[in-house]
Amino acid sequence: MANVSLRNIDKSFGETKAVRNVTFEVAKGEFLVLLGPTGAGKTTTLRLVAGLEKPDAGSVLIDGADVTSAAPASRDVAFVFQQYSLYPHLSVYDNLAFPLRSPARRMPEDEIRSRIEAVAGMLRIGGKLQNRSTKLSGGEMQRVAIGRALVRRPAIYLMDEPLSSLDAKLRADLRLELKRIQRDLGATILYVTHDQIEAMTMADRIGILSEGRLVQVGSPREIYADPDNVYVAARLGQPSINVLPLGALPVRSAPRTAYSVGVRTEHLDISRDGGPGANARLDWVEHLGDQNHLHIRLGDHRLTILAQPGTDLSAGEALRIEAANPLFFDEDGRRIR
Amino acid sequence: MGKVSAKPVLFANSIPAQAPMDPEMTNSSASEAVAIGAAKRTPEVIARRVRGLSDRAIAWLFIAPTIVLLLAINVFPLIWTVYLSFTNYKANRAARGVEWVGLDNYRRVLTDSDIWHNMLVTGHFLLWTMTFQVLIGFGLAWLINKNFKGHGVWTTVILLPMMLSPAVVGNFWTFLYQPQIGLFNYIVGFFTGVDPSSFEMIGSVNLAPWAIVIVDTWMWTPYVMLICLAGLRSIPDYIYEAAEVDGAGPLRTFWSITLPMVLPFLMLAVLFRAIENFKMFDLVVELTSGGPGSVTELASINLKREAFEKWRTGLSSAFAIILFVTVFGAANIYVKALNRVKQR
Repeated sequence: MANVSLRNIDKSFGETKAVRNVTFEVAKGEFLVLLGPTGAGKTTTLRLVAGLEKPDAGSVLIDGADVTSAAPASRDVAFVFQQYSLYPHLSVYDNLAFPLRSPARRMPEDEIRSRIEAVAGMLRIGGKLQNRSTKLSGGEMQRVAIGRALVRRPAIYLMDEPLSSLDAKLRADLRLELKRIQRDLGATILYVTHDQIEAMTMADRIGILSEGRLVQVGSPREIYADPDNVYVAARLGQPSINVLPLGALPVRSAPRTAYSVGVRTEHLDISRDGGPGANARLDWVEHLGDQNHLHIRLGDHRLTILAQPGTDLSAGEALRIEAANPLFFDEDGRRIR
Repeated sequence: MGKVSAKPVLFANSIPAQAPMDPEMTNSSASEAVAIGAAKRTPEVIARRVRGLSDRAIAWLFIAPTIVLLLAINVFPLIWTVYLSFTNYKANRAARGVEWVGLDNYRRVLTDSDIWHNMLVTGHFLLWTMTFQVLIGFGLAWLINKNFKGHGVWTTVILLPMMLSPAVVGNFWTFLYQPQIGLFNYIVGFFTGVDPSSFEMIGSVNLAPWAIVIVDTWMWTPYVMLICLAGLRSIPDYIYEAAEVDGAGPLRTFWSITLPMVLPFLMLAVLFRAIENFKMFDLVVELTSGGPGSVTELASINLKREAFEKWRTGLSSAFAIILFVTVFGAANIYVKALNRVKQR
């Protein structure tokens, strides 16, 4: 395991600037998640670390050594692709053994075997080693792909949305397993996803990417509670943060330069108010079982907020809403602290 | 699907084909509308005849001509050949009467040293054409797959020989092989310094077997290339990238990723080519007519001579059956191997 750092990386594909001046560091044993929508430059960043792409400017350092122009094979990185990139003509065992049988390693076959068995046990695919890799279910295939990275014990694991092609239940299971394995091995992982739940649950730190720029890096808690701007605030939270122009919502004290105000669902005080103090009306209630979403009309604006499953509010009721702990943003969407 | 309705139609051709159709109409009801339209336009004379036939009966009506044709020109001759192979029938003296000779013809074919010689010639031809076509075909496909500038044009150019008629190819290669004026001899002479008129590809006992191998390779390598190219194109980029990150160099990637994944395609190409070349006739007849002597006399050429020059119909039937069983058996064994490769 080693630390990896990117310094002022630029990368364009033709006219498209995929990555712009990105700088960050993944510490040894850290699980860093890059979060962003499609086209934000997440995968490109990962491929730049792997050496599958060469940066136009900037440098990539692994354990202090500059590997910017090194070939992927010499970087000691492992990559888990979004597709199950198994070698279809090989058995599960041979797939796992493939990186270890590299001529550069000269690893004896019995050590290969013991490593594979350890990893297969960890990923619960021990019984499938002799199967053909194409005869596995989607979840098993992705386990094998992750296993092929794990057997290597590289400087860093790079994972490109490895769980995105799995169904919801499997995704939740593998998410927990991956986090457990990372803790057990003390592995350094750079993980790319557009799924905020994956980011929040697995990451030691989250990096938010937007249009090729790294907008904010911090622990999940920091990113959630203390976003630098509207964009970051909107990436996390379900239902997502409500952003309203200043004045639409009663707030206790607003900074002078404030332009808009963002309130997360837990930052709203709601009370039933049939009298003159009412400023909102409940449009409808979405029952999700373990929670309810309240859709509220506030003047010309709509809010979606979370309510306890036992809520006794019903559609059509008049409400009084006040922001308890709002986030203020200026005209450019920057946070005013 | 609706049955062909056979309601009397007064204005057979003037009724529009479209049934009332709205844009949201599903596929099956659209085709039903077509069927009803077609039924309406069927002339009364025909409509009366097919009236009351079931779908199945109509289906049989449509495929009957093909089945009759297949029976007449494939199945019947095959059975007839099997029968003739046990007789002393001679097609040019049909009036002589036919005598049952049992396995005599087979015994004679299998102990005939000339026929064994033909089989050796065929084996030599098969072995070397397959070797060269696989090596060159795969190599070309590998190069074309690099997607260099203008690779589309090169693909077309490379595929041209395959489009020609074998008889034409055989004929014009006799000119290319001319010792005095032939381009082939000139080029060999140019690169090796050997006098072009000092060797005859077609006329020499030593060179003629190679002459037919070269022409067949020239003509059919593109075919192998095309199938290999399909195989290479079917390997996704991320497999190569995974191998790259896993530390596999170009050589290891080739041997343990590219080749195994193209192998089923390659084997299929060899199967098709080998069956074709086992039956090879036209190209070689045009080129050498089996000569000089009989050094390029493939089994199929001798078979034609036995059957239609010497008119030993019974014997040549037995010969044909033996060839058929050989190629059928070999192909079956090969397909089993191919399936095993595909299932890995």
